[in-house]
Amino acid sequence: MNWLREVARRLRMLMHRHQFDAELEEEIRLHLELRQQEHLESGLTEGDARTVARRRFGNVTSLREESHIAWGWEWFEHLAQDIRYGLRVLRKNPGFTAVAVLTLALGIGANAAIFSVVNSVLLRNLPVRDSQQLVFLSNPDAQGMEQGFGDGDRDFLTYPEFQELSKNDQVFSGLAASASEGPKLSVRIENDGPGSEGVPAQISLVSGSYFSVLGVDPILGTGFTSDVDTVRDASPVVVISYSFWQGRFGGDRTVLSRKIGIRGTWYDVIGVTPPQFSGETVGVSPDVWVPLSMQSEIYPGRDYLSLEPKPFHKIEWLQAIGRLKPGVDVARAKASTNVAFQQILQSQTGQMSAEDRRRFMNQHLAVVEGGRGASTLRGDFSKPLQILMAVVGLILLIACANVANILLARSAARQKELAVRVAMGAGALRLFRQVLTESILLATIGGAFGLLLAHWADAALLRVVSGGTSPIPLDVHLDSRILAFTLAVAVLTGILFGLAPAFRVARVDLSSVLKGTARSIASSGSQAGHVPVGKILVVAQVTLSLLLLVVAGLFIRSFQNLAAVQFGYDSDHLLLFRVSPVSYGYKGPEVVQLFKDMIERLDAIPGIRGASLMDNGLFGGGDSNSPIFVEGAKPKAAEESDSRWDMVGPNFFSTTGIPILYGREIGSQDSGNGQRVGLLNQTAARYYFGDANPIGRRIMVKTTLAPSDFVVIGVVADSKHGSVREKPQRRFYIPFFNPIGDGDASSANVLVRTSGDPGTAVSAIRAAVKQTAANLPPVEIQTMNQRVSKSLATDRMITQLSGVFGALAMILVCIGLYGVMSYAVSGRTSEIGIRIALGAQRRRVLWLILRESLLLVLIGVVIGLPAIFGAGKWISSLLFGVKPADHTAVALATALMFVTGVLACYLPARRAMRVDPMVALRYE
Amino acid sequence: MHGYEIANSIQRISVDVLQVEEGSLYPALQRMLIKGWVIAKWGTTAGNRRARYYQLTVAGRKQLAVEMSQFERVIGAVRRVIEAV
Repeated sequence: MNWLREVARRLRMLMHRHQFDAELEEEIRLHLELRQQEHLESGLTEGDARTVARRRFGNVTSLREESHIAWGWEWFEHLAQDIRYGLRVLRKNPGFTAVAVLTLALGIGANAAIFSVVNSVLLRNLPVRDSQQLVFLSNPDAQGMEQGFGDGDRDFLTYPEFQELSKNDQVFSGLAASASEGPKLSVRIENDGPGSEGVPAQISLVSGSYFSVLGVDPILGTGFTSDVDTVRDASPVVVISYSFWQGRFGGDRTVLSRKIGIRGTWYDVIGVTPPQFSGETVGVSPDVWVPLSMQSEIYPGRDYLSLEPKPFHKIEWLQAIGRLKPGVDVARAKASTNVAFQQILQSQTGQMSAEDRRRFMNQHLAVVEGGRGASTLRGDFSKPLQILMAVVGLILLIACANVANILLARSAARQKELAVRVAMGAGALRLFRQVLTESILLATIGGAFGLLLAHWADAALLRVVSGGTSPIPLDVHLDSRILAFTLAVAVLTGILFGLAPAFRVARVDLSSVLKGTARSIASSGSQAGHVPVGKILVVAQVTLSLLLLVVAGLFIRSFQNLAAVQFGYDSDHLLLFRVSPVSYGYKGPEVVQLFKDMIERLDAIPGIRGASLMDNGLFGGGDSNSPIFVEGAKPKAAEESDSRWDMVGPNFFSTTGIPILYGREIGSQDSGNGQRVGLLNQTAARYYFGDANPIGRRIMVKTTLAPSDFVVIGVVADSKHGSVREKPQRRFYIPFFNPIGDGDASSANVLVRTSGDPGTAVSAIRAAVKQTAANLPPVEIQTMNQRVSKSLATDRMITQLSGVFGALAMILVCIGLYGVMSYAVSGRTSEIGIRIALGAQRRRVLWLILRESLLLVLIGVVIGLPAIFGAGKWISSLLFGVKPADHTAVALATALMFVTGVLACYLPARRAMRVDPMVALRYE
Repeated sequence: MHGYEIANSIQRISVDVLQVEEGSLYPALQRMLIKGWVIAKWGTTAGNRRARYYQLTVAGRKQLAVEMSQFERVIGAVRRVIEAV
């Protein structure tokens, strides 16, 4: 512990170093005076006595310094000195400081903003206890629900599987489950005043073990216990989120004695989660957690909990999260879990064919680290975020070059000051450090402002990403990682743009500066026979911003292509909404009647050209896929016979505007249990029948529900069902009212086509729905264009942002080029004066300057071109209908760079043209 | 003892053999303060002036013993070398 005490002593000295110096001073003075006294007494004169005393003592100043330095704080004092001096210099040049800080704030701010999103989507761990112990048995990157089965790694688990796996306590200290996707439901609050409407709330169904396994301790009340899992429909309790508590209950602590109503059931509020916790899925923020055992209250009409007698029917819908026991690693957990899982599967294979059994048993659990939680955002945003991070990194480099250029120019102006300091004994290293400290100081101030900017930018960014609807609830708050990142970026930036000026300062040429004969940087550089640093920086800037402009150009062209895609139907006049009557008490035939009535009422609204319905909807996220076989034809292999399909109502094709190529469309006469009819799209017709006429042929559908068939009555044109990017796919359509499988359609997507602006029909549609089915809550009606726009949100974000950053890069280059060119002109004033005096035409002078600027741009462009192809390849997976080396984008970007070159030297060139030879020559 | 007294006593005890720059005593005292071998207290001299008095600590005595034994070893070695000639 000796060294600790030593550190304490040293620190105490640092705190009181002025007192320390005074005391040492006093001590030395006493010594000298006593010695002088002694000599006086021995007979010397006063003057001699003092001289002898001093001689015996030695060099007072250097000994004092030596005593001071012994404590080891020299570096700190120099640093403090440098910072103080640096701040003074910055304050003395407010214009320069403002420009540099603003440039850096923009550059660093852009980086911090994008990094905050990267952090919350890709890096951050869940705010729970020991998140590194968590593993997912399901696929954390998936969201939704699956029925039937595929072989390979499972995305989700069924409830019976989860229950069975929970018994395996060899590797997990606990296992929790949560519904991968939760509904947004209207929630009422008990005693919330008369006539109060319900509020929309994000619901999450979770197991009783959820909060204890995740290690989330409610700040009020308790979490669930395993009791809530034991009896179905008997645990009407909820835990609510901190923000829901604050927003709906005003943070009232009596909330634990209140109830909230969801779909007609009243639930006791038993706990409130801590503010930082927002569930296991990043980008989804549940307001209310409900026990899984209450599933049929939340999703009425279906049973997701019981063991399905037919293994093919089982519903996989749960994310399962395990907490590893201490000392158990992921690999061991995976092995152990899969042994248990195989036993579960084995117990279900009873009456399967050998082939089915083989595929069925070939299902596995991936078991992956789960500390970062689940999220589909990772898959969607990972590449765009990487690209944006690279883009803002380049922007920062360009900004750095600008600041370095200003600093270089300024260090020329400061040469006298620095030379004086050298003359007074400042070492080269000390000056180097001084200038570097100034740069880092500048960058740190810029970084601080950048963080502020990032805070605003993130809010805007989330809105853009979310595509106009309510922002994705992403937590982008400032955490230690963002802070560390920003600080590191700022310091690196400071070093980067400070190095060149610092080196220049460290080898200041004393005599020439003090004699006043030193030339400017530009000319001294060229005299020495090498290219000036300023120009190299500008060329680098041109190269980088050319890259950014091409990337922006590619994204813009790609987005134009996306926006111009034809869907194969009248997307401008379509409205869609989803109704699920089964969830609101309608049963069996009532549901079918309700759909028929609703279509009839909608058809009757003036200004509406037609209404129909379909199962999966357009751009709604769902699709069906099954193998089909043409009767009497040679069967294709299982995978090659797959076709997508949907169930559609009467007049679906005339309603949407999908052209019928031949045959007829599905009408109301095709309802009921008679011979099922169906249509193929063009791609399917060509694939299964070639040039032959498919009408009248019978097609077998092998779904996992029940084998069925239909007779082809027509062929329709291809259309886009799920995304703008989808290629033409084989697809067939069968009647909604003569469905495949066990029949009862529980919900449907209703489509309405208007003759005019679809927005004006919304209220009439809502009224018609209310008249048909009073029990249904108000429907959420979207135009087709809104859905498409939402599906393109990520593309729009990256297009807009790359455009903005491209423009920013161009502006920065323009400023940088302007600086270098004005500097060059001012350095060559006398030369230009002589030229003009000797009869050079003004136009030639203009060309002289212009040529230099364009040459710099040209070099930058030539260096940049190869990089463009690399960058284009890297982003090509996000491009649509554009080659990575699109000529238009490259040509446009190059042209823009040259325009920038001309613009930047306009002012300097004009100044050069107006040089008065008399004035210029008088300076020499 | 304060600094002046220390310088004087070195000179006196060594009978003027050891005459160093008196000032170099002060950086040396600082280094010993850092190590905790001596502590310093302000007091008053016989002539009624403020002076800093230094005192050896326990750690200082230990260090002194270490240094002494090291010194003895070196001197012993030197002596043996010289006597062997």
